[in-house]
Amino acid sequence: MSWVTVIWPMIASACLTLAAIYWLVWYRHRASWAPLFLALAAASTTAFTFCELSWLRAETPDDFVTAMRWAHVPMFVWLVSIAWFVRDYLHAGRRWLAWAICGLCAFSLLLTLLTPQNLNYRELPRLGQVQLLGESFTVAEAAPTPWMLVGQSAAVMLLIFVADAGVTVWRRGDRRKALMVGGSIAFFLLAALGLSIAVLWGQLQVPLVFSVLNLGVVAVLAYQLSGDPLRAVPLVRELQVSEAGLRESEARLSLAVDAGDLGIWIWDVARHEIWGSDRWRALFAFAPSEHLNVHEVLDRLHPDDREALRQTRAMAVAASQGGRYQAEYRVILPDGSTRWLSSLARVEVDRTGQPVLMRGTARDVTARKHAEQETQLLQQQIAHAGRVSLMGQLASALAHEISQPLGAILRNAEAAGLYLQHPSPDLDELREIIADIKKDDERASQVIAHMRALLRRHALDMRRLDVGALVRDVVALVRADAATRQVTLDVDVPGDLQHVRGDWVHLQQVLLNLILNGMDALDGARMEDRRVSVTARLEDARLVAIAVRDGGPGVPADLLPQIFDPFFTTKPNGMGMGLPISRTIIEAHGGRLWAEGRNGGGAAFRFTLPIAEETAG
Amino acid sequence: MNATERTVHIVDDDTSFRAATSRLLRASGFAVRSFASAMEFLERRDADAPGCVLADVRMPGMSGLELQAVLARSPNPLPILFLTGHGDIPSTVRAMRDGAEDFLEKCAPAAQLIGALARALDRDARDREARARHHDLLARFDTLTTREREVLGHVVRGRLNKQIARALDIHERTVKLHRSAITTKLRVHSVAELTRLTDEAGLVTLPAPPFP
Repeated sequence: MSWVTVIWPMIASACLTLAAIYWLVWYRHRASWAPLFLALAAASTTAFTFCELSWLRAETPDDFVTAMRWAHVPMFVWLVSIAWFVRDYLHAGRRWLAWAICGLCAFSLLLTLLTPQNLNYRELPRLGQVQLLGESFTVAEAAPTPWMLVGQSAAVMLLIFVADAGVTVWRRGDRRKALMVGGSIAFFLLAALGLSIAVLWGQLQVPLVFSVLNLGVVAVLAYQLSGDPLRAVPLVRELQVSEAGLRESEARLSLAVDAGDLGIWIWDVARHEIWGSDRWRALFAFAPSEHLNVHEVLDRLHPDDREALRQTRAMAVAASQGGRYQAEYRVILPDGSTRWLSSLARVEVDRTGQPVLMRGTARDVTARKHAEQETQLLQQQIAHAGRVSLMGQLASALAHEISQPLGAILRNAEAAGLYLQHPSPDLDELREIIADIKKDDERASQVIAHMRALLRRHALDMRRLDVGALVRDVVALVRADAATRQVTLDVDVPGDLQHVRGDWVHLQQVLLNLILNGMDALDGARMEDRRVSVTARLEDARLVAIAVRDGGPGVPADLLPQIFDPFFTTKPNGMGMGLPISRTIIEAHGGRLWAEGRNGGGAAFRFTLPIAEETAG
Repeated sequence: MNATERTVHIVDDDTSFRAATSRLLRASGFAVRSFASAMEFLERRDADAPGCVLADVRMPGMSGLELQAVLARSPNPLPILFLTGHGDIPSTVRAMRDGAEDFLEKCAPAAQLIGALARALDRDARDREARARHHDLLARFDTLTTREREVLGHVVRGRLNKQIARALDIHERTVKLHRSAITTKLRVHSVAELTRLTDEAGLVTLPAPPFP
């Protein structure tokens, strides 16, 4: 039995098996085209092997030529498959070159199929026999046609294409892949080209055996491709480990989220979409499956909080990449109730600083907010009680302040009555009297308005205010009392002092309290010591400091730590609430209130207030 | 009684109230002088001008009550009438005890104010007359010689000429001469009248040697 008839079918069946395997691989998992192209190349090698066997065993020139002619079809499929395999597997090689190879191969195939005889030889070749390894092979002797160059140049082009792709991959650093794929294809191609040139043009008397070379290429590529799943095994194992780790950390995260009762949300800024966890949806009263966009979420926010939240977010974006922000805001639920949420979020920005994505948590802080509000209300009530008590201390002075203009009005009215009894009353005098009456009425109204403002219950209303005007207003209120008690009030506030941010009424209360304390401290003091001074200075870039000093004996050092305690008092009729209330008020403003001993006697109470920003109202 | 004797001195730190009050009082026929503080009044007033003072109790610097104290020690203690914004009981009590003519609320009706001012001015006139008579009396007593005063001391105590002569170690006729000089100088006609005048002048400290 001839070994050729055994080897060639073995090559064919091996290739067919490879083709079947890689077709299945491709068919089951169509992630990549490479297995399909390899299957095609293998299948075409099978077909080519049979064509080759029939020309090696040809009896007549016709048989030889026909076999060679049909061999062009698998050769075409093989070349094209290899080209696209390289492109898909290596992700390299020039696309236009691949298409050019396809075009050239198709052209060559077309030529072969359309030519009546064959493309390779000018006339029917004379057949000869060549002895090799104890076997005789049929060879042809004839002059080749130049058309054959078309097919060979396609093979050369493939060589260039593969070499180019191989270099790219080599440069990319994947040298093993470049060598295995690029190197093997180039080697076998060069061998095939050399053989065909030697046989067809050089009239070398050796049998044309390409199928072995084709098989070589297919085998190397199959080996390379099969290595990939093997290499993937440790990756899979790693993946499994990291997946377990991921699951663990996810479990921990979910525990933390549950413990903190946190709702999680992610906002895709470009698409205006928001994803929220079930808990987050429950906080906003959205259904778990509802598709949400940003506007629907913003509509749930309390109108007063929308702008503030937007500004906070803008500040976080402006601050830096990955800026984070924290905000507390109200949500109005569909049933009309209000819920307070506290949100902590991070912003991701792109290279131009535009926000791309925001991730955040939200937590229900309604109970805490209500408690805070209650505390605040209580503090306001205590502050109000403090003001009422201050007004009580000022009552007789204020009664005097009001009775002055009222008395003046009465006297003027009576005088006018007397003028009118004249037969020809002096109208100028009467006009003057009426003007005076109006002026005095306004004066009385002002004092009453002052008292009313201080006696009203009043929530903190922060505004930008002028310290000078504030101090002058308070001094106007205590002036009468100071006069009766023979105390001189000095005010020293620079005209260009920055405005502060605060509540007019509450700050007046603090100043009133400190000034009245100062005047109380002067009971029994010598005439030259009977002074209370109010000064204001810029403390630093952020704060204004206001001091109230008196010329009294000062606070004894052992009492200093206690004077801000509630119900601590040294006065017979004192409540001991003035200083604690004042301190609470100043701290609510973001400032500090403290007492200082002074060299040379006297007490000084100082407090700081934050400077108002220029734009603030 | 002429206009200057019906001068009201208004002392009040409140310009508006001062103006209104003086307007009313002028329209009611008073002469008015106003002062912004107690110190200003004390410095600028005519030392012996008649009239009365209408002052606010509560003023910066010297208060109404302090003014009252200073005024009372002066040779021309004008009657003082206080105004107050409210019923300040301790001040009222102190003011009245120290001889305030009256104590009115700032918003008291004009009739009440004018009535009180009229009373105060009448009292000033009376006090002034009494002070003038007293002054005149003292001037008359001043003309007596030391010996005559000694004799007068004995006479008002009801002693006889003989007793006086012995006590002073002088002749009885000399005592008679002194007595006639005293009655002439003091312009009196009887011992009873002499005793009354001496009493009125407050000369209780006349030298009076003990009865032997």
